[in-house]
Amino acid sequence: MTTPQRMLILTGLFLIAFTMAFGVWYAVFDEHQTLVGMGVQMATGFAEMAAGEPGASSEALENYAALSQEYRREVHAHGHWGMLSLVLIIIGLAFNRLALSERHGLLLAWLLALSATLFPLGVLMQIGPAAGLGKLLTVPASLGMVVGLLVSAWALIRNPQRAAD
Amino acid sequence: MPLNGNATSGNAIANNPLGTNSQRVLTIGGLLLIAGGMLFGEIFAIFILHPNNARIGEAMYAASQLIPQGDVEGIFGHFQAIGGFLENRGTKVDAHSHAIHVGYIALLLAALQPWVNFSEDGKRRAAWFFVACGLGLPVSIFLIHYVGLAYSPVEHIGWASIMADLFGALLSLAVFLQFLGLWRHARSGERLDTGQGPGGGEQASRLLLAGGLLLLVWGFLYGAFYAAWLESGKAIPEVDILKSIVTNAASQNQELLGQDFAAYGKFQMYRAINVATHTHINEMGILLLLLSFAQRLLPYSDSARTRWAILAVAGGFLLPVGILLEIPYGVVGSVIADSAGFAVIASLVAMLLGLLRHIRSAGEGAP
Repeated sequence: MTTPQRMLILTGLFLIAFTMAFGVWYAVFDEHQTLVGMGVQMATGFAEMAAGEPGASSEALENYAALSQEYRREVHAHGHWGMLSLVLIIIGLAFNRLALSERHGLLLAWLLALSATLFPLGVLMQIGPAAGLGKLLTVPASLGMVVGLLVSAWALIRNPQRAAD
Repeated sequence: MPLNGNATSGNAIANNPLGTNSQRVLTIGGLLLIAGGMLFGEIFAIFILHPNNARIGEAMYAASQLIPQGDVEGIFGHFQAIGGFLENRGTKVDAHSHAIHVGYIALLLAALQPWVNFSEDGKRRAAWFFVACGLGLPVSIFLIHYVGLAYSPVEHIGWASIMADLFGALLSLAVFLQFLGLWRHARSGERLDTGQGPGGGEQASRLLLAGGLLLLVWGFLYGAFYAAWLESGKAIPEVDILKSIVTNAASQNQELLGQDFAAYGKFQMYRAINVATHTHINEMGILLLLLSFAQRLLPYSDSARTRWAILAVAGGFLLPVGILLEIPYGVVGSVIADSAGFAVIASLVAMLLGLLRHIRSAGEGAP
């Protein structure tokens, strides 16, 4: 196993174990409470209007929207870490089929491993006080994944004999 | 679990990629999980998803009709029903996606077995541990809606949820064990010839690899553009529609209320379809990449392998396209998506049968 393969596969496996642990923690300590909170806030939005309190109704619906946004970001971070870890492992396994020099191969592995780790982290950070930094992180990280995948495809196509191994 | 001992290594195992018990357990378990998860998704989409969405809309409309009467208790009653419908839908989606994802991980772990530095018995036990937890997780998630809080020791979390969390934690441990085995190999500095098995299937493998990578690039770009569209402010926020619903319901303006619900239905449809399209593009991409590794193991002619690969690639591209076409064409899009899904399942089953034939013909001498 070459260094880029080792880097991609070990990062991928670490991310799978991490996102599974995160998923379990999230399901036990946060998801249920968030979902109940969403339901309660939306129902309260309707009930307060029925009670003739439009201000309280609006506030409850805003709370629902914030919780809904939080829920989607948490689920997206969990799901994206899982999916991207699979992509890292697959590219790691197919790495000997790519027509790349050792240096370029190592750069590609760094790019993919960092992007796959940081993109979901950026999504998750958008919930807390560092939301701006989270947004800033997701742009280069997602761009890094797209560039990394395109380079992988290009290196595969460039070397049809080895791709067919 | 005796994971140490005579660590298995060497080119013999790498040259016969399904030659060990752990690889067979993970490969067959993984393919069964993927095919089962996809089939469950088809059944769920046809029989549960659409009727359930209609029930949610009806319950919300009924709740809005109670606003002018000030019937707070009635409103909470309708939202309790909506909670039940959402749980029914959510647990089905989660069972479907977790079965497929765990299946993907099982296939990848099978491919990585030559580099896992444990004894053969330890690897076999670790593989069974992973597959057993992988089956337990989606089944437990599926049961959450039906078991509810019956005999639960916790106020808000039922037994099925507890089991799902337990299986999730154990799965995490199972992956960590594999990580440990790979780490031991990485530290040993041993180099392995990755071996390519019986060979053949080049055209099919290339087709699947190219298709998979293209789908992943498409998936990323789709996700990025969708996120940018949401951030651009061109999409009407959900909260604005909800505020309009309660305001128009309170003033008993049925015409505007009808428009609000139409807008809300459209909003929910756009969100669900865009998320499903993005997810399915990526999942099909990963599936095609994984299947490319299996081609050299299939005891079929090159033309047969290419035929099944074309079917998988075509299904992989058409499935998200069909989902997207549900926006303008409704049922026509659903039919395309379901047909494409069945095409991928047929291709998967054909490859699974091929792998089983390969294992049967080459398995006698395996450890």
